[in-house]
Amino acid sequence: MANAVMERSAQTMDVESKEVEIRVDHLGVTFQDNEGNDVQALTNVNLTVHKGEFVSLLGPSGCGKTTLLRCVADLQEPTEGEIKVGGKTPREIRMAQKFGFVFQQPVLFDWRTVKKNVELPLEMMYQTKERRSKRADEMLEMVGLTNFANHYPGQLSGGMQQRVNIARALGIRPDILLMDEPFSALDEFTKEKLHEDLLRIWSKTNKTILFVTHNIQEAVFLSDRVCVLSPHPGRLSAIVDITLPRPRTLDMRETPEFNELVRQVRDSFEGGSL
Amino acid sequence: MAETSFHKPVAKIKRKKSLAQRLSENKAVQQSSAIVLPVLLGVVIFALWQTQVLHKMFGTDVFTLPLPTKIASLFAQNLPAVWINSLATIKAAGLGLLFGSILGYVVAILATFFPDMGKGGLYLVGAFASIPIAALAPVMNNWTKDVSSTASVRSMVSKILVVTLVCAADMTLNAYRGLTEVKPYSEDLMATYAASKRKLLFKLRIPNSVPYIFTALKVSVPASIMTAVVSEYFAEYIVGVGREIRENIVLSQYSIAWVYITAACIIGIVAYALLMLAQSILMKKFKPV
Repeated sequence: MANAVMERSAQTMDVESKEVEIRVDHLGVTFQDNEGNDVQALTNVNLTVHKGEFVSLLGPSGCGKTTLLRCVADLQEPTEGEIKVGGKTPREIRMAQKFGFVFQQPVLFDWRTVKKNVELPLEMMYQTKERRSKRADEMLEMVGLTNFANHYPGQLSGGMQQRVNIARALGIRPDILLMDEPFSALDEFTKEKLHEDLLRIWSKTNKTILFVTHNIQEAVFLSDRVCVLSPHPGRLSAIVDITLPRPRTLDMRETPEFNELVRQVRDSFEGGSL
Repeated sequence: MAETSFHKPVAKIKRKKSLAQRLSENKAVQQSSAIVLPVLLGVVIFALWQTQVLHKMFGTDVFTLPLPTKIASLFAQNLPAVWINSLATIKAAGLGLLFGSILGYVVAILATFFPDMGKGGLYLVGAFASIPIAALAPVMNNWTKDVSSTASVRSMVSKILVVTLVCAADMTLNAYRGLTEVKPYSEDLMATYAASKRKLLFKLRIPNSVPYIFTALKVSVPASIMTAVVSEYFAEYIVGVGREIRENIVLSQYSIAWVYITAACIIGIVAYALLMLAQSILMKKFKPV
């Protein structure tokens, strides 16, 4: 018990010493439904994410977790409050192409080969042909798809497409990786493989990752901290520190510590557990 | 005894499928039947036609519906004239198709860039597309009468303009869909790359619209020839496959009229075959939407 407390305080200190990457301050998002009524998607969200941290946004559908992520990426305007990313506005960061965004669907362009898809954001940054090609090869090697470089997306399985999606997002060396339920459409086997891949890549590159999911086990397994969001109105109801050591391995999911953390996260939902 | 009666039905179930079923599932048979069956239908019709069974069925005679052999021999005899008239029709249809498709695509791009005006503009284009050619052609003749002092030039301009308008409407409606109906999140993806409207157009919208261009052409290639033929009926200068069909029917020279009907069919089939060839070359890279 004393051991656990010590570990916890050590990590808290570690986090405090780190630089703040994303600061969400009293964020509120309101939109109007079809009947013209105001719907509060998010209300009074305060969150600080540190550099190199892996933070999950966890909650049931309708809790505003995707809305929060989209606000950070400047794909959506908040109605109240503000977001700062590295001291700048999300728009400045987006225009500087510092975000890597992994959508729920692979969003690959059917008319481009796998490699050309990975090169797409690099083209947008006006990189030379040689640099683009070299970088795309590196990325495809990292996600284990070197042999599929010249295939078209339609020829790949859903899991492989999602790996291309991740390779494309990482190819631009983003400071911040924003992931919106990237694995939710995949089968268990592919998902586990990609969890390991993601953690391996993250430990190598040390990006800040904001990861949206509705899967408690997934959030606990991957994250440094899990932010629990509750619906109606969408709000941040708890932040749970995940004290599992790194590197994480798949058999850690069987440990009592893991199950205890999962229970702790589940209990922190307001308005009943999932 | 019980054992054999138990085994027998199983053996029967494991027996190969019926001949008809096996044939219908065979890839080679499927592919060849796609060619053989239409050809067979053509041969049957040809036989009925040549033996005058067709004439009895429809209560007609060999004067109004000449025999295929007669049409073929007249076609060969009149080849130079057929060729000149066909060229005039191909020119009107081809140039109209080219100008119309380009115009239609540009209008579609403008509609995507200015969505507020674009939506209303598309209704207008849709209304335009439903104007009958028979109404458009005389109006266009009237409008183009001061274009040139030479009748052949004015008539050609008029015909090209009618085809242009018909093809443009078709291309605009299809291309607009191709330019706007992109995969979910792909516009968001481009936004995360800070893509400008221009980049969005060239990297996402235009490539996405390629299959839709072919959808438009599949309609407008045959339509361009039809439109050219029909506008020739109304043109001032007497040239073209359509005009020859009309003139010869008026003069009760049905055999020659049928020669030009055949020419119109050949032009249409060749044009469509060329389009399919172009599509298979350009589109083999990726699966159409």
